[in-house]
Amino acid sequence: MRLSKSASDDRWHVRPDGVGKVTGELKYLTDMRLPGMLHGKVLRSPHPHAWILSIRTEKASRLPGVHAVITHEDVPGMNRFGIAFPDQPALCEDRVRYVGDAVAAVAAETEELAEYALGLIEVDYEPLPVIDSPEAGLDPAAPKLHPAGNVLHRTNYKRGDAEEAFSRCAYVVEGTYETPRQMHTYLETEGGLFVPEPHGRLTIYSATQHGFKDRMQLSRILGMPEACIRVVSSPIGGSFGGKDELNVQPYGALLALKSGKPVKMHNTRKESVRAGIKRHPMKIRMKTGIDGEGRIIAHQVRITADTGAYATLGAPVLNFATEHASGPYRIGHVDIEGISVYTNNGVSGEFRGFGGNQVVFAMEGQMDRLAEAAGIDPWQLRHINLRGMGDPGPFAQRIVQTDGARQVWASVAECALWSNRHDRSGRPEEPWLRIGTGAAITMHGAGLGFGIPDPAGGTLRLTADGKIQAAFGYEEFGQGLLASLELMLKDLFCCAAGDLEIVIGDTDRVPHSGSSTASRATSMMWMALQRMKGPFKSRLLGKASELTGLPAERLETGPGGVYEKGGEGPLVTYKEVAAACGEPLSTHTEFHYPTTPDAIMGAHYLYTYAAVCVKVMVNLLTGRVKVLDQYHAVAAGPVINPQGYLGQIEGGSVMALGFTLTEDALMDGGQYVTKNLDTYLIPTLSDIHERFELHAIEELPEGDSFGPRGVGEVGSVALAPAIVSAIHDATGVRIAKLPVSPEKLQRHFARILAGEGEEAS
Amino acid sequence: MAQPGLIYWKSEVNGVETVLSVSPSLRLIDLLRDKLELTGPKLSCGIGRCGACMVLLDGKPVNACLVMAYQCSGKRITTVEGISGQELHPIQQAFLTEGGFQCGYCTPGMIVTLKALLDENPSPSRGELEAGLCGNLCRCTGYGGIERAVRQFVKARSGTEPTTSGELAAGMDAH
Ligand code: FES
Ligand code: FES
Repeated sequence: MRLSKSASDDRWHVRPDGVGKVTGELKYLTDMRLPGMLHGKVLRSPHPHAWILSIRTEKASRLPGVHAVITHEDVPGMNRFGIAFPDQPALCEDRVRYVGDAVAAVAAETEELAEYALGLIEVDYEPLPVIDSPEAGLDPAAPKLHPAGNVLHRTNYKRGDAEEAFSRCAYVVEGTYETPRQMHTYLETEGGLFVPEPHGRLTIYSATQHGFKDRMQLSRILGMPEACIRVVSSPIGGSFGGKDELNVQPYGALLALKSGKPVKMHNTRKESVRAGIKRHPMKIRMKTGIDGEGRIIAHQVRITADTGAYATLGAPVLNFATEHASGPYRIGHVDIEGISVYTNNGVSGEFRGFGGNQVVFAMEGQMDRLAEAAGIDPWQLRHINLRGMGDPGPFAQRIVQTDGARQVWASVAECALWSNRHDRSGRPEEPWLRIGTGAAITMHGAGLGFGIPDPAGGTLRLTADGKIQAAFGYEEFGQGLLASLELMLKDLFCCAAGDLEIVIGDTDRVPHSGSSTASRATSMMWMALQRMKGPFKSRLLGKASELTGLPAERLETGPGGVYEKGGEGPLVTYKEVAAACGEPLSTHTEFHYPTTPDAIMGAHYLYTYAAVCVKVMVNLLTGRVKVLDQYHAVAAGPVINPQGYLGQIEGGSVMALGFTLTEDALMDGGQYVTKNLDTYLIPTLSDIHERFELHAIEELPEGDSFGPRGVGEVGSVALAPAIVSAIHDATGVRIAKLPVSPEKLQRHFARILAGEGEEAS
Repeated sequence: MAQPGLIYWKSEVNGVETVLSVSPSLRLIDLLRDKLELTGPKLSCGIGRCGACMVLLDGKPVNACLVMAYQCSGKRITTVEGISGQELHPIQQAFLTEGGFQCGYCTPGMIVTLKALLDENPSPSRGELEAGLCGNLCRCTGYGGIERAVRQFVKARSGTEPTTSGELAAGMDAH
């Protein structure tokens, strides 16, 4: 269906967290305060790489109004964190590896005082040579950033014999693609409130995508049992992967414990830029060959990722990039190698799309180049090679079958934007404005992949006051999880919103249900409810049957209580049912995210498919590119929450627009050049054109038991190659480095305007 | 009387006469968020680029991170909390029904800016809307829902459709 408000009828749903957000009443965790609270600040390294010779904190500690100053000596437990591989010091002992590295922290009565106290901490450094690129890190003479050297992770995937197959190709193209250090730019910077409680407990109000994982890591750092820590983690002012890793939590927690007072932390934007994780910059070399019929027979890929100073999710991101580097295509001979290298640049980690964006940009670029070389329509070339129902996944693993690839391909093939791409009418008169159309396609895995613990679950309860309570360990960071859950529960129980109580984002109150990441939460809530609805309803109706004397088969749930089927008004209210239950009625489920039966590390089982077509206008004088029209086709199964679905694709695509045209957290010698939103430019309304169409393909094969697939990431993946393809269509210039540089384009265009033809690259 | 080193500050905040002693170096955003606990205005960039901190000063939108508190003494200040009365303001209502927000962190600033913009110009063209919102960033929605909310609001109020992009595109240059 064409996804819009009017096409969605009453499923277009006002979010339960909406009123608080539009009135400003909603308190985010960084808005919280308590009487007598202190303000925490972190002292970060001025050097991208240096030895720490000494740290002296006496002057800062003596300052009236300063209640705690901490260094590594104050970390009672393990002084390391990292969601997959803990190698990042909470507070550095002897060495700093990037400009976000924390050396000390202070809690004081005011923010100004805390800031002032930081200036009184004396640290002696001995600067070390800076590794400012993966190439520099791989130099055998480079200093080692970590005991095992500068390589965080290598990947390798081979199928067939690519080398030999290239010799049989009719056309072979080679390209080197580069992608930027994109910043999440969630509008709420990192922070929260850290509260020491009676009996030695600690409550942490701070954003994360996985409260239980934070609790586990904090328990290690603080040397405190997990049961003594409560993590409250919603609502969140945006994350996009950027708050999944610990950020201010270790400092807030340590300062609160040391001072015995509540401590508030809230990073400034500058500090957030400096310390926060970014999308992995990647350099991708690809060599791809087709036979005379246009079938890809050989594909060689070399990926180099700049993972920055610490591991965080660098290894899984590289695994994901390796898996997705063949696109949704059948290829006989594949040879992929990836390497993720430590540098003294900012830390790279998880970011919406998880490494898929980078390699899909490259792969789709290759497809366009091959099409041109062979004189085949680029969309047709994709069709020739597209995986079909029944084909295995990119690592030849078994995957859940859908016809998504062909569905999204066909949707774009038939859309007006693509069909009319050669129509020259209505084009601007000005000779310096050019219009072009391009398209790209992707498949995108959801869940963490084979070999990684990826638990899911949830709880349904009937509370004493007659609410159907659903508790999940997921977080609302803006994606609309609460709205989706409310819609699913209303579908299941035909009840009113007022009958529901949704509990998320509080480790004291919710079950373990895995992280809100990898486009998995909606799927996992849906699957959990499928498992719980039967037992919960039958117990609820069983109780109602005892109360009403009617057999359970004649009863059903509805607004306010239990009805006789087809009857008017509830026979018993939920509250009456709850009161009649001896012990609270509740159902719980625990299961694992579905994984492929083939033991290939990181390989996915469930995929979402998307294809994008865009029309752009290029100004040959300024080198600026404007997207005029977009068509997105997404095959992700049933649409649970149309407003949320549309919002995810629109928002993801505009984030990808920034990735393509303007966003790059530039670094020079390990220092950020772009420090705030005056030089790091994300799209504004004027960068967006009103024309945007989304075709949501809901059909799944008969008998599919996996339900809705996630759409949180897929809208951000295929736009960049589509735009770059459209720029080529408009001007003949092929771009291989993002963000597209207007200066570079101008240089190409100078030649075009001088009448020297359009062939450039 | 102000305490030593502090200044006497008196303004009408969301219709309420408010008197404080504040440091002369205090920004308006800190006064609102920390002293008055009006946390509707958000702090994000701190340098006037994102619009999350937008408030109305005598009806005009200003970045509360860029003005000092003392500069606003004696003026009328409206934050997002002061936009709705008993009922939601129709712009807020339109944001709700059209899905003009996701995480909601940009929303107070967006709504404040739009209130000023639409009070002054009840039926803005796309270009006027672009100019009016150029200082408000949203990272979640891609602006689609925000734009639908504005169109819906304008339509409901005037019974006419706002200028369409088709007209706009004809005269547009790519920046
Ligand atoms: S915080 Fe004031 S404009 Fe960004
Ligand atoms: S809704 Fe999150 S920044 Fe706008």
